[in-house]
Amino acid sequence: MPLHDVGYRGWPGRRLAAGHAVGVIMTTGIRLAWASRWLRRALLFAWSPALLFGTSFFAFEQAVDEGRLSSMREGARVGRNLDGVGMLGTVLAETLGRKNGLDAPKTEAEEIAQTRRLVWSRLLLAFVRAPQAVLLAVVVGLIAPALISRDLRAKAWLVYFTRPVSRLEYILGKGLVLAVIIAGITMLPGVVLWLVGVLVSPSVWVAVATWDLPLKVIVSSVVLMVPTALLALAYSSLTAESRIASFAWFATWAACWIAHSSLTTADMMAAANDPTAQIDHDTSRGLWGDVDAVLAGADQPPPRKVRWFAKAAGLDPAIDHWAWISPYHSLGVMQGWVFGIERRPQAILPPLVALITLSLISIVILWQRVDAPARA
Amino acid sequence: MQASDAAPVVVDGVVKRYGRRTVLDQVSLTVPPGITGLVGPNGAGKSTLVRAILGLVRLVAGSVRVFGLDPVTDPRQVRQSVGVVPEDESTVPGLAAVEMVRYAARLSGLPGTEALRRAHEVLDWCDAGQERYRTVETLSVGMRQKVAFAAAIVHDPQLVILDEPTNGLDPIERRAMLGRLQTLAHRHGKAVFVSTHVLPDVEAICDHVIVLSGGRVRLAGSIEALTRPAAAETRLEGDGPLEHLATQLQQAGIAARVADSRGIVFPTPHAAGLATVWQAAAAVGVSVSSLAGTHRPLEEVFMQAIAESQETGDAAA
Repeated sequence: MPLHDVGYRGWPGRRLAAGHAVGVIMTTGIRLAWASRWLRRALLFAWSPALLFGTSFFAFEQAVDEGRLSSMREGARVGRNLDGVGMLGTVLAETLGRKNGLDAPKTEAEEIAQTRRLVWSRLLLAFVRAPQAVLLAVVVGLIAPALISRDLRAKAWLVYFTRPVSRLEYILGKGLVLAVIIAGITMLPGVVLWLVGVLVSPSVWVAVATWDLPLKVIVSSVVLMVPTALLALAYSSLTAESRIASFAWFATWAACWIAHSSLTTADMMAAANDPTAQIDHDTSRGLWGDVDAVLAGADQPPPRKVRWFAKAAGLDPAIDHWAWISPYHSLGVMQGWVFGIERRPQAILPPLVALITLSLISIVILWQRVDAPARA
Repeated sequence: MQASDAAPVVVDGVVKRYGRRTVLDQVSLTVPPGITGLVGPNGAGKSTLVRAILGLVRLVAGSVRVFGLDPVTDPRQVRQSVGVVPEDESTVPGLAAVEMVRYAARLSGLPGTEALRRAHEVLDWCDAGQERYRTVETLSVGMRQKVAFAAAIVHDPQLVILDEPTNGLDPIERRAMLGRLQTLAHRHGKAVFVSTHVLPDVEAICDHVIVLSGGRVRLAGSIEALTRPAAAETRLEGDGPLEHLATQLQQAGIAARVADSRGIVFPTPHAAGLATVWQAAAAVGVSVSSLAGTHRPLEEVFMQAIAESQETGDAAA
């Protein structure tokens, strides 16, 4: 008998209220996931794009501080290539070159404030939409497949469902594991980027002028979290083999992306061959709409090297009719909506319906599957 | 309604079917305080009965009450008052033994610090403290069984349900485990419900036994009542010429017979008859070492119940 064996003792204390199990499952799940060296590396890597975007924030604020905004605007209006400064150049050229984008600023300070808001919005949108959404798919693919399938294989469902843990608490706990990690990839660096922008701007009052941007980052991250976490958990609940769930997860993203690209390309080719085809875009707001027409006298497609980024930053005015077919593109449209950059119902509704449907199907699968072995 | 002083478990007319197969057929039983054994052949419906008690399966008919509570409508309260050691190994991969027990405590509603303190305490009591920092999946089968037991009792449940609790334990550990169950039941007032195939375990520690076969309760009652022979008999053990003693008693009108090399058995006599037994033993030179009422081995009772259930099943078919 061990020296410190005090025997069995009763416990007269009060039990914690219902719902506490969510936090217990979440914290334990995060701790177990964090044990994976690959996850730690992926998370570290997932912060690297923030450095690049942070540089753009700094470059923009430096231009404002040095009074170069006016000259850059002139450059954009006469078609000077601002791509020399990378992503920022692309965003600036569109923002500064537009005719009607800003609300008739009365003073230069007002114009700077409006330009800043638009540039920051687009940089943040591009950040959460382009690199982070892709990295999210990778990181979620590393941890989500094992979250429930491992419980099924190790019969850990007995640990949960023979104790006062409901299905809802179990699903919420597992979902929050993913949500916290997704927040670490999108929400946290996004808010940090905004903070960096505030710190490198000439005045801290910029924080007041752009107070809604971190909220938009948070909401857009939640928009990313909910469908992706539900889909990943639904796959995980369908099998006791996490590698099958992992394959299904990556296959979904890849296949839907390929399907989206194929259909979009097919549409573009059809439109190119049909001179009567209508190009569906809002000519009042795009770099390759009226500004291009003014500057170049013709509809030019965006330079190939920036097309992906331009789409991510909401610069491409064309409606993505096939976005609903791919989770990545649907989520992108929703994030554009959150940032107020995409407002057209015909662009928003199909992806919105697709994501809601996907989430509902995932919830039904999860609800049926998580304690299925206990009922069998 | 709070968990009350009602009988730990009352099952009334429970019917459970999987497709067209009836797994529990009008099962009614009561698990009284103390240690109750649930025995039955494979496929008898024991695991399904345990799941029904936890409210995990949807019943076709009947009701289950655990401390007066319905596990379907009050699953939280019922599961807070129940600890389960499942037959299947169930662990959360990656957790050390003490983390696993602490996790179980926290899921059952204990605050963090208290859960950790009790996890250490219970692991020590289960003699698993020396392996507490090893991940559960790297432990031996017996040690995992002890960790599972610790996880089941860490939150101080009023009812402990164990499915094959001595699986994978060596004889010494098996005896220690049975001792712990007795301590829980008799010193701490827990109701213990043990589902097992090991009849000597049931005989050694259980106060009551329920025999389940073909989805029906075939026998239920106290061990003492079930193993009591149809007619009260007394067994005399001793050294000496037992055959002569049996013959002497028969001549005195007592229907004695030699049971084995150690003793003889005869119908329990009244006081005067008992004096005759002592006198006869002295007369033939038998040194009596014990004189006690006999009982049927539980295995015999079990086998008879199963045989009867099979006959009933065959007749019904």
